[in-house]
Amino acid sequence: MNMRFKKSTLFAGLAVVLAACGGATSEGSSISSSSAPAFTTSNNVILYTRDTTSGTRDGFMSGIGFSAAAKDDNLLTEGFVIADNTAILTAMGGNDKYGIGYVSLSSINNTIKPLTFDGVEASEDTVLDSSYGLKRPFNWMLRNPGDFPSVAVEQIVDAFVAFMGTIEGGEAITGAGAVALASTTRWDNIKGQYDICLADNSNVTVRFGGSDSIEKVAKAVTASFRPRCGNFVAEHEHTGSGDAYKRTVGAQKDEAVGKDVGFASRPFTGAEKLVGGTALPVDQYGQLAWDAIVAIVHKDNPLSNVNADLLKRMYEKSSANAIRTWAQALAAEAAI
Amino acid sequence: MSKNEIKKLIDKTVETIFFGTALLSASFIIIIVLVIIQRGISPFITDNDGLGPVNLVRFLTGLIYLDGPTFLSNAYGIGFLIVSTMYNAFLSLMIATPIAVLTALFIAKIAPRWIADILRTVIEILAAIPSIVYGLFGAGVILDIVYDLSVIVGVQSAAGLSVLSTVIVLAIMIIPTMTVISEVAIRSVDKTLIHGSLALGASKTQTHFKVVLAAAKSGIFTAAILGVGRALGEATAVSLVAGSNRSGISFNLFDTTSTLTSTMLLGMKETVGLDYTIRFSIGLVLMVVILLTNLSLNFIKRKVGNVYA
Repeated sequence: MNMRFKKSTLFAGLAVVLAACGGATSEGSSISSSSAPAFTTSNNVILYTRDTTSGTRDGFMSGIGFSAAAKDDNLLTEGFVIADNTAILTAMGGNDKYGIGYVSLSSINNTIKPLTFDGVEASEDTVLDSSYGLKRPFNWMLRNPGDFPSVAVEQIVDAFVAFMGTIEGGEAITGAGAVALASTTRWDNIKGQYDICLADNSNVTVRFGGSDSIEKVAKAVTASFRPRCGNFVAEHEHTGSGDAYKRTVGAQKDEAVGKDVGFASRPFTGAEKLVGGTALPVDQYGQLAWDAIVAIVHKDNPLSNVNADLLKRMYEKSSANAIRTWAQALAAEAAI
Repeated sequence: MSKNEIKKLIDKTVETIFFGTALLSASFIIIIVLVIIQRGISPFITDNDGLGPVNLVRFLTGLIYLDGPTFLSNAYGIGFLIVSTMYNAFLSLMIATPIAVLTALFIAKIAPRWIADILRTVIEILAAIPSIVYGLFGAGVILDIVYDLSVIVGVQSAAGLSVLSTVIVLAIMIIPTMTVISEVAIRSVDKTLIHGSLALGASKTQTHFKVVLAAAKSGIFTAAILGVGRALGEATAVSLVAGSNRSGISFNLFDTTSTLTSTMLLGMKETVGLDYTIRFSIGLVLMVVILLTNLSLNFIKRKVGNVYA
């Protein structure tokens, strides 16, 4: 009896302690949200960034005209925090009122405040109609006609390009976090034009390369397309946008690193659209998607609109006109 | 074949099987160490695909993780990471040791048996929880508490990502391990010592602190060695609450921090070339750091432990 009493006392005690902890936590959070000072504009801007291997960081930094910082932490304002997509969302959606970060458009949710860029809200529509500016194109380029390792490879590549423009291709692209171009065609409706996909292609290797930022998207599209086209072997080696042209039609196309399809996460330059002084046929390169990035802050943060210059002044350590406090940021917003 | 011979044959076979398993487990350690050494040394002695060999002195003393762009620079430095790793582990040990030892003392000597049994089970379960769970707890709860604390003391914190959060998570993580081992050490203290102390007129509390803990010192040090080893080697939980700073040494509790392990983990899945291989070098340094820490704690243990042995 005595023992039972002791045990029940212990459990009751534990329950009281746990309840007290729970109560303290919820009470604590309500205090911090209701009685904390609204927003102290003299506080510093806390910068959140992805690490240097991230494609989103590459897209963001090039989007704000600060490409040099895509791979170099030393150029960033001191005190920045490196975090992954989830951690940036958690910080902005949680307690850090004074932070600013960026995530891909597909990660936006209602716990954070997405910032408009040049006054335009980020959405699939504004990305596709090109009114939203913080984005970069994902492009592809092919070898010259007749210059593929075999006819089978060339035919598979033709079918692949068609697949990228279908609803199924778009789903694969969207699933990998990019914004696919609008499409109304289903693969089933056009696959009849590509007899090669009826054959067993398991001994045919197609080489994909170029931008490493597109690697995830490219792999998602080939993974979705392979079973639809005789299970050809997709070999991915993504080394950078510069290699998209170089390894398909440029200087390295016939070396071991040569590729059948090259991807670039930026527009092709004028020189890259020429081969031997002649313009490349327009069907030899094109766009498969947009990569849209959105700057985000805490919901209590009064900042709503940014532009490339404002963000660069925040992130650049050696900026001549640096923005370090929220007061400066809000003044810069007012001047846009 | 006689019965005796069959018995001998069975003995021999069993011995061989045991030897085989012992050899297998020992060879895993040797293979792992050899691979880490081989991969870890290569950045310093190879050309790294045209980037040139990494400067070892700069690597070990540097205060900037990478001076220059990733994939285009070989100027790695982890001196600040060695310091912050030790700092974080030391602070967590400072928090965990008194809590673990006092808990162990309570369970082993003070608590009634049925409470001791419940607490022992709870702590053993805690010791078996994977670190990612502690990390998630840290990211979901500790970060908020530390952020609120930073507001109270008037410091601006990055969502709570800080030395303090890291240290708290590490301490919570190592307390159960340290408690379990300390408790065993305290329980195995010779009863005659305790009786002697009580018979000489010492109070129970005096006996607990001056006799029991003193006699269990050696076991408590073993607990500390294992605890600090876990704290130094923890990556996942730390990376969720540390904030991953990339340069400079800061002892401010509200500043973001990094450890050797969290740096190894950061971007690991997306990287190639030297930026990948250098993580083996960091791993090698981490192994040396853990080894040296254990050796020094062992040295202290030998100096101060076993007072009644």
